[in-house]
Amino acid sequence: MEDRREIVSVEAVSRRFPLDHDLAVSPGHHRGQSSVSALDHASLRVTAGEFLAVAGPSGSGKSTLLNLIGCIDKPTEGRILVNGVDTSSLKASGLTALRRQQIGFVFQTFNLIPVFTASENVEFPLLVQGIGAGERRRRVAEALDSVGLSARGNHRPDLLSGGERQRVAVARAIVHRPALVLADEPTANLDTHNATQLIELMRDLNLRLGLTFIFSTHDARLLEHTPRIIRLCDGRIESDTHSGAALETYASTYSVTYAGANSKGGGNG
Amino acid sequence: MGKFLLLAFRNVFRNRRRTVMTLVMVGGGVTGLLLAGGFFAFMIDGLREHTIQEGLGHLQIFTAEHFRRDENRVLDTGIENWQQVASLARTGSHVRGVAPRIEFYSMVSNGQKSSVFMGSAVDPAAESSLGFTPRLSSGRDLSAKPGGDVEALIGSGLAKSMSVKVGDGLTLLAVTSDGALNGVDVQIAGIVNTGYAEMDARYLRITLNSAQRLLQSDRVTNLVVGLDATANTDKAAAELAPRLGGLPQQMVLKKWIDLATYYKQVRNMFNGIFLFLGLIVFFMVLMASVNTLLMAMFERTREIGTMLAMGTPRSWIVALFMVEATLTGIFGALAGVACGNLLGAAINASGLHMPAPPGLSVPIPFHVLHLAGLTIGSSLIVVLSLALASILPAIRASRLEIAEALAHV
Repeated sequence: MEDRREIVSVEAVSRRFPLDHDLAVSPGHHRGQSSVSALDHASLRVTAGEFLAVAGPSGSGKSTLLNLIGCIDKPTEGRILVNGVDTSSLKASGLTALRRQQIGFVFQTFNLIPVFTASENVEFPLLVQGIGAGERRRRVAEALDSVGLSARGNHRPDLLSGGERQRVAVARAIVHRPALVLADEPTANLDTHNATQLIELMRDLNLRLGLTFIFSTHDARLLEHTPRIIRLCDGRIESDTHSGAALETYASTYSVTYAGANSKGGGNG
Repeated sequence: MGKFLLLAFRNVFRNRRRTVMTLVMVGGGVTGLLLAGGFFAFMIDGLREHTIQEGLGHLQIFTAEHFRRDENRVLDTGIENWQQVASLARTGSHVRGVAPRIEFYSMVSNGQKSSVFMGSAVDPAAESSLGFTPRLSSGRDLSAKPGGDVEALIGSGLAKSMSVKVGDGLTLLAVTSDGALNGVDVQIAGIVNTGYAEMDARYLRITLNSAQRLLQSDRVTNLVVGLDATANTDKAAAELAPRLGGLPQQMVLKKWIDLATYYKQVRNMFNGIFLFLGLIVFFMVLMASVNTLLMAMFERTREIGTMLAMGTPRSWIVALFMVEATLTGIFGALAGVACGNLLGAAINASGLHMPAPPGLSVPIPFHVLHLAGLTIGSSLIVVLSLALASILPAIRASRLEIAEALAHV
């Protein structure tokens, strides 16, 4: 059944960081400038079940955009709605609850808790949600199975390969069935083979479970099978592209018809 | 909750070298407190029993009048029918014996020189049965047999002042209970060294019979009650006090602790020293732990950021750090208790002695008592110290900006 719920709505969002005048001024920023703009009036809508890549060179604002969508940073201007909730209206505790229930995170450096086993790492978001032990066990087994790591559940992160660690991180991000999974440069610490496998895994989970994925990358090779790509440069959305071949798969899976399924343009909203 | 505690437990042993260093510091503090406190407790216990055995006894019976006013005449506030009171006291379940005493002030003369003395009259047999023996530097104790020459024990300072030795004679001059002047010749049986110079300069002891003849009174100042164990003092006092209520004279029962002024001063001093040591350990552990925990927090910044990003309440982060520190304190305390008890047992078995302190001629055995209260108290000091030390790092950790924490290298 088609689900066109809007999961994320980024409305004219800017994020500026105060500039430390005691530090050396980087090229492009001048003395007297009080802040540096990481994101400039970006607008974006993501519907349920989308698989979306945010691409761009280093410093283009990818992480800033994902941090803002993930409610771990606040915009200087504009507003962001996650699953219909205006995040600017929420207090810290509300944002914490929103992240806990609606969002899953995958980080560039895996960020697994080193003293926990793979299973315990996957279990952690459920623990924070206060879910009972039996239900936790069932969901952890399911999540590990979905990333192909059922046999590695009792291993600590230091006994897992980089690719396996990131798959554990993906299992941890999806175990509580979030509305949205955010992955900030999830392949940056992986070799090409593992990076491709990870993207394929996320795409598979996206297709099989209908999970909404937004991931950032600066590796163009990983974008080949990505149905929608947001390109950022210097904090501005340069393009919002729906790839034809990939989109067909996406559309056939979700029975969504996209007229003119190529570039929609649409930079900055 | 279980997983949360498991996480805290595993985090404690995450950086093993640092944890071992912390445990050594915490355990060392507890060990030090146990050894110092155990030795102090041994000294205090020793002083308590010494004070009681020196003649204070466990309980003393006086007339109520004794505390209301000074004597107008010798022994006019004393116990009249003391044998009856003593018999009554002897019926107590923990009572080992009762010794009558007369305390009086008078003059002593060697024929050329006179001096004031603090007289103490005792029943040598009763004193001996309670184990109260004077500390003689020469001669012997008073004879328990009636008749013969009137004997006296005098302090070493008084003997020196009067230029007398064992076997020499002295004359005691006193005002009787009727107000007349009376005298008695005494032969020095022994010279006493109490350990206190002021006391030795005024000390004189004769038998109860001799004192009653000298003072022309059959009263006594007080009755000293010896018990089978100091621990039974309260119980024996509670049993005896109502029985004294039916006597013609109003009586007052005093426990040894009410009369042991010097003991209380020494105990307070030791308690003060121990408190000071406890504070040193407390702040030492506090300061060192704050630094260690801040380092741990710094190293785990990204991990904390990850947990916060996943929606972990900030209060959980505070609790996690505090539980980790508390667990470290508990493990350190356990290590310290084990180490302290082992070292204490080794010291007790070694037969080591401390040099004799001022006033005592014999070295004190270096003995450490193992006390439950001391163990719990010392452990609580370090556990509390670590728990407090974790507050600052815990709050800092919980207040991390998530985006910055995730970017932490």
